[in-house]
Amino acid sequence: MFETLKNILVDKLKISGDQIVAEATKEDIELDSLAVVELSLVLEKELGLKISDDELMELDTVGEIVALMEQRAGSVTV
Amino acid sequence: MAGPDDVAVTGLGLVTPGGIGVEPSWAAVLSGRSRAAHDPVLADNPVSISCRVPGFDPAERLGGRKAHRLDRFVQLALVAAHEAVADAGLDTETWDGARVGVVIGSAGGGAETFEANHRVLLEENPAWVSPLLLPMHLSNMAAGQVAMEFGARGPNMVVATACASGATAIGIARDLLVMDRCDIVLAGGTEALLNPVTMAGFARMGALSKREEAGLASRPFDIDRDGFVGAEGAGMMVLERVPDAVAAGRRVRGRVLGYGATADAHHVTSPDPGGVGVQAAIQAALAEAGASARDVVHVNAHGTSTPLNDLVEAQVLARVLPNRPVVSSTKGVTGHMMGAAGAAEAVFSVLALENGLAPPTANTSRLDPRIDIDVAFEPRPVPKGIVLSNSFGFGGQNAVLAIAAA
Repeated sequence: MFETLKNILVDKLKISGDQIVAEATKEDIELDSLAVVELSLVLEKELGLKISDDELMELDTVGEIVALMEQRAGSVTV
Repeated sequence: MAGPDDVAVTGLGLVTPGGIGVEPSWAAVLSGRSRAAHDPVLADNPVSISCRVPGFDPAERLGGRKAHRLDRFVQLALVAAHEAVADAGLDTETWDGARVGVVIGSAGGGAETFEANHRVLLEENPAWVSPLLLPMHLSNMAAGQVAMEFGARGPNMVVATACASGATAIGIARDLLVMDRCDIVLAGGTEALLNPVTMAGFARMGALSKREEAGLASRPFDIDRDGFVGAEGAGMMVLERVPDAVAAGRRVRGRVLGYGATADAHHVTSPDPGGVGVQAAIQAALAEAGASARDVVHVNAHGTSTPLNDLVEAQVLARVLPNRPVVSSTKGVTGHMMGAAGAAEAVFSVLALENGLAPPTANTSRLDPRIDIDVAFEPRPVPKGIVLSNSFGFGGQNAVLAIAAA
């Protein structure tokens, strides 16, 4: 799931790949409030994962986002 | 003609269909070869000809992350602004940003982004419209993004006078410096309206050339002209008061001595057939410059290649400029960059004085017999004196800049 998120951040949000590690914070990868809404939208469109921008705003790191994606994916195979 | 209100041009930047940068753009304009081509994006449009900036890769120029969050009209403005700031040798780390203004003209803002998101709304899901839509689309973002890029914290605005916007911006920038509201202004125009719905609108109003051969479509003042060719681009200038520029040891490349702004108050798209507003704008620019009509040595005309604009503009020039200065329309080469045109052409006017050369008017070989002005068919010498840069917009707005050498 980490690689899935990383690919989305690189391909869709054009964030530089070498910045994206599990410990990186949203600030580290310049994920501001607009980018968080964008990410929420891409997760739904690309993966069918419903994670709201409010939920994403509560999280600090890439690793935490990955964990929520895995939890939310549930039976969905990604 | 020199006075305490002299405003110096200390930096130039261009991104045009002639190329990315001042040098390639000027060389393209001097070549007299049109940059128009059939545009795959407009393949289904009533008119499919345009002039795009060749080889413009926003991610390479600005970085992928930044480019992703900017509409093309802002990308073009940022690249032109970087060139102008570097050309002036400004140190944006140490300048007093509170005294630096940004004034940029744009007719349409981020229409491409708007159209793409409207398609998402209609064809996919209204909830999938991008959160970046408004930060990318709003016209004022061109000036806002330039401010963020360089730390320019003074007066900041985008002005819209349709195809006069770039000239209006430089005129307002001059006013801000004369009024001492700023010490430096980054001023210019930017436009990227080659998206299908905007260009379909221009085609439907009959403004665009319907010629099949793209390279022959833009032919200002020619007897066979039938409309303009849409183009994208950006032009930027660094402006400062002359004494400040000299004290800072910066190279003065030209001076913006006068600005005339009027409205026709006549019709949404047609110029007033008497050219009263255009004439008044020329006279106001010359009066502010402390110059007379006899001092004008060259005109960079609005010269869009539309039947009506070129006729009315030429008639006014013939009437008010007794010495028959050499007239060029660089739109024969570049097409019509709309809100960027007035700024790019002000840059070309500075370059005409620097190089002592008036650019040719591409494709124009046989003048409309009703037009009695001295149109440059090939590069022509320009003596020292005043250059007028004319820009007129749908809506009847007229903006004329009076430009002199350093």
